[in-house]
Amino acid sequence: MGHATASLAAGVQRTDLDFALIGHQESWRSVSDVLAVLRGAERTRLPDAEIMEIFPWIPPRTICNVEVASATGAKARGVYIDCFIPPDHLDSEYVHDNIGRVRAAAACAIKAGARIVSLGGFSSILIEGSFDQLPGASDTIFTTGNTLTVAFVVQGIRKMCAVEGREICKSTLLIIGASGDVGSGCARCLAPFVKRVILCARNARRLRTLAAGLEADGIEVEIATSLEQVQYAADIVICAASVASPSLQLSRIAPEAIVCDAGYPKNLSPRSDMPGARVFFGGLGQIAGGLSFIPDFKGVLNRHPFPDVAHGCLLEGMVLALARRFEPFSQGRGFITRDRVEEIETIADFHGIHLAPLYNAQGPLDAIGTSKTEGHCWLSSGSMAAPVDGVRRGPYRSR
Amino acid sequence: MESLVSLNGSEPSVCNSPLSTASIWQDVLAQAVTGELMAATNYSALATICDNPEEVAEALEHAQGEHGHAAAFVAEGRKIGVDVPSNINAKYWKRIREAFMRSIAERDFIACLIIQEVMLESFAVASYSRVGKVAPGSLGETFAAIASEEEGHIEHALDILRSDRAKAPEPFDEKLYQLHLDIMTTLTEMVAKECRHGQCDLCHGSCVKPSLSEVGLTTAELRGASLQHYLRTLDMLGLPGEVTLQWVTQLPV
Repeated sequence: MGHATASLAAGVQRTDLDFALIGHQESWRSVSDVLAVLRGAERTRLPDAEIMEIFPWIPPRTICNVEVASATGAKARGVYIDCFIPPDHLDSEYVHDNIGRVRAAAACAIKAGARIVSLGGFSSILIEGSFDQLPGASDTIFTTGNTLTVAFVVQGIRKMCAVEGREICKSTLLIIGASGDVGSGCARCLAPFVKRVILCARNARRLRTLAAGLEADGIEVEIATSLEQVQYAADIVICAASVASPSLQLSRIAPEAIVCDAGYPKNLSPRSDMPGARVFFGGLGQIAGGLSFIPDFKGVLNRHPFPDVAHGCLLEGMVLALARRFEPFSQGRGFITRDRVEEIETIADFHGIHLAPLYNAQGPLDAIGTSKTEGHCWLSSGSMAAPVDGVRRGPYRSR
Repeated sequence: MESLVSLNGSEPSVCNSPLSTASIWQDVLAQAVTGELMAATNYSALATICDNPEEVAEALEHAQGEHGHAAAFVAEGRKIGVDVPSNINAKYWKRIREAFMRSIAERDFIACLIIQEVMLESFAVASYSRVGKVAPGSLGETFAAIASEEEGHIEHALDILRSDRAKAPEPFDEKLYQLHLDIMTTLTEMVAKECRHGQCDLCHGSCVKPSLSEVGLTTAELRGASLQHYLRTLDMLGLPGEVTLQWVTQLPV
């Protein structure tokens, strides 16, 4: 067998797949890195122009085997399937093509015999909206993974508030993309603990529905269909909008606001002018037991400055596979509740999957609880725990 | 029946067409006619190693069909006022032909099917489909119709190949991989952005590739569509997608 085949022969057998992860690359750089791994170290990298010409033609398919280990010693085996959506084809004009790609990727997962499938990034559209987008009946279960993403976003916000010494109960929380599944889930989890919540999204009807639910619980809510309409300067911002590229420019936020970019692709424009803001990338978890790929895509498929880190949406499928809970934990839009977030947090925690150390585009936020003890303390308290205020003020800043 | 096209090379001719892009179509048609003629000779050779009389008949029928496609392309050339040259000894086509004949010499029926039905047909179906979308009038219709016919007749071959793979997947995949290295390398060089190793021996003047954009084509889309079709065909045979993707990404650019 040619070496390209032999290198995969050592991979896991397809007959006992616990999970499949469906995703797409966030940037042309990550595309280039993926193709470089596939070509092998002995071959030169493909020229960028060549990649941009050929990549859109690649049909969705498995690109590697994945193994995740629980803190309990259990393991789950799966595959990563890429939709091969070009990173610059995420806007609305390509939506039908992209849905076709995600459907094809889902068909790959079914064909591979995966028991549960997590949908990363854009691909969650397949079951956030209408379920009939899924390929025909099969025993394969699909989850958006959004509940665990919400859990890690909320945990990240709490961690930053604690380290920064912010009183969360006196804060104004702005959620951009609040009508989405992740945004609305974050609102339900955090709104009861803040002074005021501002929900921002384009769909006014969905915003009103969400706001009405929160107001019924006595929460002060403002809604806005654009950032220009926002009345109050937010101290805490969660960016969870579906954007085609990092293009969001924040204005009217408090000078030292805590800003969580939970988007994939990232929401915030690299040109955002927020000198005093504490920005971090949210929704990420770290696997204490380890994550491995065959071929070795470590640091390529999960491009983070820490090992064994992945997005919550993908981790949810792995967590459920480790727990042998093959169920559609997250489906539809707007059903993520505090109870469900607590439930997935508990399962993840049991298997040693915790909030990842925080970082932003400039690198790790070193001073924030990278030690296991501190991290564990935080994580064991979970995202639903009462806010911990005024712990200490860290020296880090968005650089 | 009168032979409409020569197998061993007709001379490139001057283009006298009123159609401004005729000289580009002339070169595109030259590749298509040569590919069809080579397919016809491949099927004729395949008939000589078939054991089953039905397979012999089918191979000869395919040979006749490919010859008919070549004739149809030549006729389209005439309609736009160009004579379409052909040359199955042109550089790239000769390499492919030689590889096919090696498999014939080894009486390796499966290898012959892989070369013709999986590799060459992937490029033919995908590129004819693209050309069919942009070529004017009946020229486009002919390309589209032949693409559809080519696609239609590979199903039986895929059944044979799937059945062979089911008996022994590893030797089958190894054979396919070795053929991939040989044939697909040549095919991707044919549709590379530029001919780095000199002329292809079919273009009537300078290389047609830089001019393709004038008729709404690019080598990138021809190559992309062809490799996509190839990957999907390999999927249908049951080869692991991650393995075949590695193969394709390792091809020369």
